[in-house]
Amino acid sequence: MSTEVLRAPPDPYHLGHLPSAADAPPQSTGHGGGGPAPKRIVVGYGFWIFLLSDVIIFASFFAAYSVLFKATAGGPTAQQLFDLRNTAVQTAFLLLSTFTCGMASIAVGARSQKWTQIALLCTGVLGVAFLTLEAREFASFVARGAGPTRSAFLSSFFTLVGCHGVHVTAGVLWLGTMMAQFYAKGFRTDIRHRFLCFTLFWHALDIIWVAIFSLVYIVGTLPPEFLP
Amino acid sequence: MSEGRNGTLPEYEAGSYVGGDLPPGDSPDARAHSLRAEVGGYVTGLLLAMALTIASFWVPSTNFIYGPALAVALLVLAVAQMGIHLIFFLHITTDPDNTNNVMALAFGVLIVCLIVFGSIWVMIHMNQNMTPMPMEKMLQMQP
Amino acid sequence: MFGKLTWQAIPLNEPIPLVSGLAVYLLLFVLIVWVLAKGYGPYLWREWITSVDHKRIGVMYFLLGSVMLLRGFIDAIMLRAQQAMAFNAPGYLPPSHFDQIFSAHGTIMIFFVAMPFVIGLMNFAVPLQLGVRDVAFPTLNSVSFWLNAVGAFLVTLSLLVGEFSRTGWLPYPPLSELRYSPGVGIDYYCWAIQISGIGTVMTGVNFVTTILKLRAPGMNYTRMPMFCWTALASNLLIIAAFPVLTATLAMLLLDRYLGFHFFTDMYGGNSMMFMNLIWAWGHPEVYILVLPAFGIYSEVVSTFSGKPLFGYRSMIIATMAICIISFMVWLHHFFTMGAGPVVNAVFGIASMIIAVPTGVKIFNWMFTMYGGRVRYSSAMLWTIGFMVSFVVGGLTGVLLAVPAADFQLHNSMFLVAHFHNTIIPGVVFAVFAAYTYWFPKAFGFVLDERLGKWAFWLWFVGFWVAWAPGYVVGLEGMTRRLQHYDDPQWRPWLMLASVGVLIILAGIVAQVAQLVVSIRTREKRRDRTGDPWDGRSLEWATPSPPPAFNFAVLPNVKDQEPYWDIKQQARQAMQLVTPEPEYQAIEMPRNSPTGFVTAFFATVTGFALIWHIWWLVILGLLGAYVTFVVFAWRDHTEFVIPAEEVARIDRANRAARAERLRELAR
Repeated sequence: MSTEVLRAPPDPYHLGHLPSAADAPPQSTGHGGGGPAPKRIVVGYGFWIFLLSDVIIFASFFAAYSVLFKATAGGPTAQQLFDLRNTAVQTAFLLLSTFTCGMASIAVGARSQKWTQIALLCTGVLGVAFLTLEAREFASFVARGAGPTRSAFLSSFFTLVGCHGVHVTAGVLWLGTMMAQFYAKGFRTDIRHRFLCFTLFWHALDIIWVAIFSLVYIVGTLPPEFLP
Repeated sequence: MSEGRNGTLPEYEAGSYVGGDLPPGDSPDARAHSLRAEVGGYVTGLLLAMALTIASFWVPSTNFIYGPALAVALLVLAVAQMGIHLIFFLHITTDPDNTNNVMALAFGVLIVCLIVFGSIWVMIHMNQNMTPMPMEKMLQMQP
Repeated sequence: MFGKLTWQAIPLNEPIPLVSGLAVYLLLFVLIVWVLAKGYGPYLWREWITSVDHKRIGVMYFLLGSVMLLRGFIDAIMLRAQQAMAFNAPGYLPPSHFDQIFSAHGTIMIFFVAMPFVIGLMNFAVPLQLGVRDVAFPTLNSVSFWLNAVGAFLVTLSLLVGEFSRTGWLPYPPLSELRYSPGVGIDYYCWAIQISGIGTVMTGVNFVTTILKLRAPGMNYTRMPMFCWTALASNLLIIAAFPVLTATLAMLLLDRYLGFHFFTDMYGGNSMMFMNLIWAWGHPEVYILVLPAFGIYSEVVSTFSGKPLFGYRSMIIATMAICIISFMVWLHHFFTMGAGPVVNAVFGIASMIIAVPTGVKIFNWMFTMYGGRVRYSSAMLWTIGFMVSFVVGGLTGVLLAVPAADFQLHNSMFLVAHFHNTIIPGVVFAVFAAYTYWFPKAFGFVLDERLGKWAFWLWFVGFWVAWAPGYVVGLEGMTRRLQHYDDPQWRPWLMLASVGVLIILAGIVAQVAQLVVSIRTREKRRDRTGDPWDGRSLEWATPSPPPAFNFAVLPNVKDQEPYWDIKQQARQAMQLVTPEPEYQAIEMPRNSPTGFVTAFFATVTGFALIWHIWWLVILGLLGAYVTFVVFAWRDHTEFVIPAEEVARIDRANRAARAERLRELAR
């Protein structure tokens, strides 16, 4: 796979306009009139748009959670349930995994198989650790009679945080697939494109988690008189 | 590598394309092949994010912020940290090469705000206008 | 072992669904047998089912919409017949059936007729108009189509196996909760829409990326055809709105399947929140449908008036304004639910504001026609029929936007007449105009004009005869979805509405006849140059039908109507002005069965979820995952069209056009 350094988009089609025409300097591809964008940009941008749609799903669950926050139906409230130490550890795991994911993308850029696999492995382990803590938290809630069927508040909590957990699970599966593909097929262009999408996905998951730990967990444990 | 379909250009490589569009997630530092700047960027982002996280956990347990403003303070800290992630990890900048990415993000943020704050606003009013229920009826709704 | 599925699921004691379900499946079976017996199987598999070509996928979407239009229209006839008969009488449809039919009618018409039509047209035309070879993600495009087809299939299956939902086209809780709707109807609805919704979101991603990142060299944003702008706005709305639908139906499904309490009437659930969230999707949805329709009208008006579109930039601003504001008006669908005067006033004003950019568009179309040499082909007739009718529908919408008026008219027949008045002239007429307009490009021959005009007049008259009474009875107090009634004042109007439906039926017959006749006489109506309407945008530069790669070389775009300018220069010079290019080999994406196989597993999973057959759910999901991994592990994704082949096709195109120029010279 050769690495071509491009100056400006070449014109391979000899498009037939008269050579004396004062062509504007070729605009960059993909935005304005430079012609179709290179594949990496197309793939990355498409996935970016998909991520936005995913964020809007989370927004809907957030809206539902905000509306149903006080609907505890006589059951356990957020103050009674949430353990902020667990949340802090989960946050640390996910934040570090985002960092190692960034290191992985640097390693891919440098074409180093060893560092790519190491960084991705760290990311995966941290992700699994995050999921383990979350599963334990959910299980403990259910055991205390605070499962999702107890009240509307709990339904919306489990759905919102659970949706994030499902996404992290899917991300971990994707991560495993990426490790396998890099190992089996090397740094082929289309695999690197997919990896770009994966990094976008993984970073976005941490962004969503920032909203969750701040606005669900920490706000949830504030004294009720401080809540709007 | 030959031209792909759509007449796309020979393969764009992170780090080799000079001038022009960027996909989201690719950093100008990668373009410039500077390992130090790249790692430095991620480390800076990590440290800033950690600081904001610690602040978020710490703030409610002190009297530093006026009580009823705590929720808003946490929102502000969360938004700030999302910004750190976007800048340092996702390399979203105000560079003209990034315009499409920023516009898409802005559109998404607008829709999220409309849905979340719109729903909260509407539902608060709906709930306020519910007929007040006598206590027995309230208890009836929780078997 | 089979969950809730038993032999009782087949409605043996209910003749209407039984007979219609059997008829549908018998027809399908006969069709499949005929296709295989005639040996068309391999051709269909190779050229259509596994195709990732946007033109083929667009045609398949259009076909799906057409077939489902027949089903939805039959539902409409049944509803009108019931209401014509059921004055102080039970009619022929028991209430439980009537409820399923009006629910199916709305669900099918919105999700499986209007959406496939609009998406199919965008699929076909947008890459051609942008001057590129295909969309950004062709295989994803195929998957999107097949997932949409799965949704339609599941809804059709509910005729024969089980029942459909009875809650109307949007399943409001608490009626849609398990407690009050324990049957499988709502589940059929929810899973069909969730599955097709995934396909639709992927379409949104695909087209936003295509329009923003894949255009011919030189095509700035302000040089794109208007249809591409409206397609962009519509797809941005798809990405923004459909996730809300997915999340809301997911919450309903969690309530039904796992006993959650989002919308239940106990344990703190809030049914009103369902309405809030579902309409936050529902309002953008209607703009998703109508914006591409407006784009089609822009194309047709400028082509058949022989003038560039008037006020192109204001059209862009109006389109994007509609796109953004459409996300700020959703509460007008439930003014009466009790949000109070402040909230109602804000949303009411926003709903009135959104009429302004639409008005701008109407004026621009009129000014495009003014001073032009207007050709009243059937496509133009559909457009003028739209302009006249949609204004009325839009005005009744502004009327309904006044909360005080809406308190009287909410859920009355006035409302039903309003939205039929906007959707039918707005979206359906546009689809028919686009069908006439782009059919020659897709298939290489023009449709019969005379039958086309007949179809238009029958539809136009039939529509007004069917729906003007709706306004009247609505103002007289009739609500929607009545299985029987006893107010004699309404009776004559409802009988008139039934007559209108029969006139529309005649229009549909005319359209079917038009297709049959046109196919029979296609040699006489061949489009030899690829430009039957004296078009202005880039799709008319290709032969009809275009080759797989669309353009032998990507055109270099210099201004807003690139093809028109080249054509004018050629006419003045009496010869082709662009010299023969240096042909090169073109790489195109390979066909892939991924879409079809994914759809198969999606059908299995959906059916299993509906009937609570859990082991089958796991198998279905596993199958879908394996399909995805197999696809992701592919090494060969493209094939090469050799330069000589490209040259041969393009030279034929150039020769045909040179011939046409010589004819004009004589």
